[in-house]
Amino acid sequence: MIPYSFRLAAQSILHEKWINFLSVLTIAACLLITAFVAVFVYNVDALTKKLPEKFSMMLYLKDNLPGAGIENILNTLRRDDAVETVKYIPKDEALKELKAELKDATYVLEGLDENPLHDSIEIKLKRSVLGPEAVKKLSTKVKAIEGVAEVEYGEKFLSAIYSIKMGIRALGIIFIAIMSAGVIFVCYSTVKILFYRKKEEIETYKLIGATKGFIRAPFVIEGAAIGFCGGLLSLIGLLSLYYILFLKLSLSIPLFKNIIFPSQISPLLPLTGLLLGIAGAVIAIGRIRY
Amino acid sequence: MIHLFNISKHYENQTALRDVTFSVEKGEMVFITGPSGSGKTTLLRLIYLAERPDEGTISVAEWELGKMKESSIPLLRRNIGFIFQDFRLLNNKNVFENVALALRIRGVDEKELKIRVFDALKEVNLRHKSDSYPLALSGGEQQRVVIARAIFSDPTIVLADEPTGNVDSDTAAGIIRTFKEINARGSTILVATHNRDLFRGTGRRVLKFDTGNLVGQEAG
Repeated sequence: MIPYSFRLAAQSILHEKWINFLSVLTIAACLLITAFVAVFVYNVDALTKKLPEKFSMMLYLKDNLPGAGIENILNTLRRDDAVETVKYIPKDEALKELKAELKDATYVLEGLDENPLHDSIEIKLKRSVLGPEAVKKLSTKVKAIEGVAEVEYGEKFLSAIYSIKMGIRALGIIFIAIMSAGVIFVCYSTVKILFYRKKEEIETYKLIGATKGFIRAPFVIEGAAIGFCGGLLSLIGLLSLYYILFLKLSLSIPLFKNIIFPSQISPLLPLTGLLLGIAGAVIAIGRIRY
Repeated sequence: MIHLFNISKHYENQTALRDVTFSVEKGEMVFITGPSGSGKTTLLRLIYLAERPDEGTISVAEWELGKMKESSIPLLRRNIGFIFQDFRLLNNKNVFENVALALRIRGVDEKELKIRVFDALKEVNLRHKSDSYPLALSGGEQQRVVIARAIFSDPTIVLADEPTGNVDSDTAAGIIRTFKEINARGSTILVATHNRDLFRGTGRRVLKFDTGNLVGQEAG
């Protein structure tokens, strides 16, 4: 039964080659756009994951803390699961760094009798906790440590980055869902047309004792084949664009060098096409009644 | 083998069958006759569950059709060889494929399928037309393809709706001869026809219908 269903599906694909070809092209276009969006979202995600390397929280300590007190704070911070690294910066060192940064403008520090800066601790956070809520919670926690005068971090910057990341991800998911529905609709329409064209044939199948599975199988195979071919074509398009266009552009525009092509998308595209094709075909055939 | 009890079937403005009761025993060959619109085709359609009766009960072999699940209908139909009035041949498939279809739905392997299809075509004298397409055949030849498709597996029951409606008298006689042969092999046969010549002198039971009523029985 299965080989015959495949044969029927193959005959139908060849017999109705134009409608099938157009469907494959439409699906390929939809999946190609979807893949672009997925690559974009993936890159935004990857970019934001790099933030912890640059993001730090500064703890300013109270004046005249004894060495044991500072050591105590450092140990408390090191024990925290959210903390990646801890660096103590004495106020003299901080002043030295400030002077180095000011270069020719050190005159702004002239006239100061004593070092106005505080001893401080710079902590870098683990990637897993880098969300506005978690960072805020941590800042409250560290502020409560005995000897910590003030905590400073780029709260607004972090919130903005996080919102952008989540917004792009949400939009990406919505867009991918819409495009997937589009692919299902294309497969649905194609199989529905073919199903109607073969209505008489299907009636005969039913009358001579064909099961629902026997009737459905060629259409489902056809839907799967259309979806798979569309997915394969979109993958070819994506790879061609990446290797021909992006890699060439990256030679002249450095920004393109940072674009990552997620290799796991390669098998996903034909597979997604196949599954969406099957879904469209199954919906199109609907319930078969005797 | 086939039992109908108080069967009625109504369409919008007319009654196709009214309170029909009869039985066909295993191995019997029975003719159903009557003018056009007397309910012959409806009766056959009820037996293979293309339609369901409004009233009454039908049992075919071991199946009580009123209680039959939809998923079991293919099983019932595989036990019935049906010769349709309108042939129901697939014009995009050749004669071989049209006959083979009935075997393919049963999952018969290719080797056995070829033997059985050619045997069936030989039985109806169409072995030489196996590559032809239905539209290239005469009405009589198409009818014989349908017969080949229906009888190839010696089905438990054969239902024939006006099987000689499109053929000359010699071909009609040949078709009846084929029916007698498969009946002799054990199949129960029910033939609906308005052609009285078909059953005259056969000695078989004839059920007479008129405007949906079973009006009598006689020996042919």
